[in-house]
Amino acid sequence: MNTETTFQANARSKFKKFYAQHTYVFSFIGLIIIAAVINKNFLTYANLSTLMLQSAIKGVIALGMTLIIISGQIDLSVGSITALVAGLGVVVLNTTGSIFLMLIFCIIFGAILGLINGLLVTKGRIAAFIVTLATLSAYRSIIVQLGQGGPFNVGENVYKSFRLIAAGTFLKIPNLAIIFVIITIIIALIMDKTKFGRYVYAVGSNENAARLSGVNVNKIKTMCFAITGLLTGISAFLLSSRLTSITAPNAGVSFELDAIAAVAIGGTSMNGGRGRIVGTFLGIIMLQMIEGILIAAKIPPFLTGLVKGIIIILAVLLQSKKER
Amino acid sequence: MFLRMENIVKDFGVVKALDGVSLTVGESEIHGLLGENGAGKSTLMNILAGIFPPTSGEIYINGIKQENITSKKSTEAGIRFIHQELNTINDLTVYENLFIGEEILNKYHLLDKKAMIQKAKEVFIRMNIDIDPQEIMVNLDTSRKQLVEIGKALLFESKLIIMDEPTTALTNKEIDNLFTIMKALKKEGVSIIYISHKMPELFEICNKYTVLRDGKFIETGDFKNIDEKKATELLVGRSIVEETIKEEHKKGEVIFEVRNLSCSPHFENITFQLRAGEVLAVTGLHGDGRGELAEALFGSRLLTEGEILMNQKPVNLKKIKKVMQAGIGMVPRNRKERSIIKDLSIRDNLSIAHFVCNHKQLFINRKEEIERFEKNQKVTRIKVGSCEDYITSLSGGNQQKVIISRWLEMNSSVYILDNPTQGIDVGAKFEIYKMIHELAKAGKSIIVFSAEFPEIYKIADRCLIMYKGKVNAELTKDELSEVKAMYYATGSNMEELK
Repeated sequence: MNTETTFQANARSKFKKFYAQHTYVFSFIGLIIIAAVINKNFLTYANLSTLMLQSAIKGVIALGMTLIIISGQIDLSVGSITALVAGLGVVVLNTTGSIFLMLIFCIIFGAILGLINGLLVTKGRIAAFIVTLATLSAYRSIIVQLGQGGPFNVGENVYKSFRLIAAGTFLKIPNLAIIFVIITIIIALIMDKTKFGRYVYAVGSNENAARLSGVNVNKIKTMCFAITGLLTGISAFLLSSRLTSITAPNAGVSFELDAIAAVAIGGTSMNGGRGRIVGTFLGIIMLQMIEGILIAAKIPPFLTGLVKGIIIILAVLLQSKKER
Repeated sequence: MFLRMENIVKDFGVVKALDGVSLTVGESEIHGLLGENGAGKSTLMNILAGIFPPTSGEIYINGIKQENITSKKSTEAGIRFIHQELNTINDLTVYENLFIGEEILNKYHLLDKKAMIQKAKEVFIRMNIDIDPQEIMVNLDTSRKQLVEIGKALLFESKLIIMDEPTTALTNKEIDNLFTIMKALKKEGVSIIYISHKMPELFEICNKYTVLRDGKFIETGDFKNIDEKKATELLVGRSIVEETIKEEHKKGEVIFEVRNLSCSPHFENITFQLRAGEVLAVTGLHGDGRGELAEALFGSRLLTEGEILMNQKPVNLKKIKKVMQAGIGMVPRNRKERSIIKDLSIRDNLSIAHFVCNHKQLFINRKEEIERFEKNQKVTRIKVGSCEDYITSLSGGNQQKVIISRWLEMNSSVYILDNPTQGIDVGAKFEIYKMIHELAKAGKSIIVFSAEFPEIYKIADRCLIMYKGKVNAELTKDELSEVKAMYYATGSNMEELK
């Protein structure tokens, strides 16, 4: 074999490896092509920035969900955490008049709600699925009761400045997109470059082996839930700014579905142990693009749930095929 | 000839478990299958029982070539397999275990409990043992579970019974009973493939033998024509016998001490000391509590009583991290389940214990980690392409070297090695033995938990033999022999005391 063909063979096997590990990148490119063909205006700046803006709020939650799923857990309560934190956050904003205090409240309260999930899973030894199914119901119920079914409206005095957080732009880029990208980079760094990140992968891959290497498995799992709660708190803050009115029974409904779908499309293993933050970042954007395509293709909006369901199943099917 | 297996090859990824093995068993024949652990005996039998297919090779039963043998086909051909490990379902009753997958149904296609209980009773009478078929399995001790497992093979008419180390947990009286049944079966025309490490048993009950070594066929013949010495030579292979020079270790002060350690119901009242530079082996048979003891020494199992001292100071056993910081390292058994993290790279697998105890910076430095890997690679001679690959790309032996490096990197003073050569090839085994000798020479203390006598003989200065959760005997290097080890491991001394 001469050197040129060896080089070609090498390049081909490297490409195959890259493809196997980063299939989501190719799905992303494929989707962009489809979207651009269907919608002539797709590749315009206005459209792309709207896409980022729409992806950001659910995207921040999906980043946390990635940690949870890599560590071998699941969190179904993120939608209810969003509603509970956002509703009470608006109350904090209206009573104090301080956006900053509201942000601090959302971050801490979100982390506490996540921590409760984590402690019930680790100290209570209850399956994450059951714990978060229960808190999904409980957290939502609290905020619906507090709001007596009505909405939490942002008060007149702070309305303008608060609304600008989600609606505003910086150098013509939507604030939400910037915040989403920054948080993505921070979480990606944590997962890729720190001990904590390694432990999350280790716990999801082989809990026993991680424990016998000295990793405090319960602490890592609890932290994953707390971080997800914290990110959901940030997301709730952003959602309040975007909507300026939180209706307790509706806010954040089915966010867990979108977050899990984004993680699955992003190539994270549903069995835990493998996955990338970048994948989830692209995953949530892809999900948003698909919604756009459905609208452009004039598919009835009631069917988006069906399409999302099919997408989750397809993504996981492709994955398990690879793992076999 | 009832059975002919020809040129059987079986690859597990990179590992060649069987390399052109042949086996012929006639009617009314008790055929001894000999080989060290890892020689390929169980793999060959699993192929015959249709548990997994061979990579290549041919199987003839009654002269008819078998294609794609499955466990169903194998059972239909009259082949029964008594497994080495106990495959019992503890929450079901004895008779439910006996008939699992082959339940007797009545005319309405519902379970016919009466018929099953009756048939189970008949089998136990035939085996001359007293077990109630309606007893819940969990209430039976290990030897009775093994008898139930044997009973399974006698329930239905069979042509060939494979017995994979059936006597490991049995008392001498129960073994005699088993041999009586085997002789009766032989008279009825049933053949038996008998796998055992116990030479006297093989010579007593078998008429033919086949020897495997390192997955290769070595020899077949009549037991009449060989003696125990010759059989051992065939088993071990000459070249290896010469290589096993036992090394003397210079022993220092007592560094590690275990006092009255109990963990009911697994073990009780374990007390021993360990000196610097000493290699202590702990052995026994299935159900001796050895595995649980190994876990307890590392703080991964809650104790009911007792303490562990390191340099006269009690070790905090509540947290594994504290145990590691006290200077104790652990290579657990069942590598796949307990030590390798399959989704992490080779270097992360090596560094993970270091991360837990000694890594202080915010970020992991890739260059430092690669250096750490290369430093250890020189010591343990891990063969890899790139240390960024998944650990699962390595052979079992190299995986185990990575795990050992995990603890060398921690520079522990006491190494607990639980079944460290499980499922790795002979070459890598010897490298691990050498490492153990080198660690001992460097003044480290090592506790090896193992059921493989040849291994213990090669490395240990001292050996504790456990029986039913207690240390039944302590043998020094000079006193150590396989016969003695077996004598105490089967609790034969207790039986004599009765």
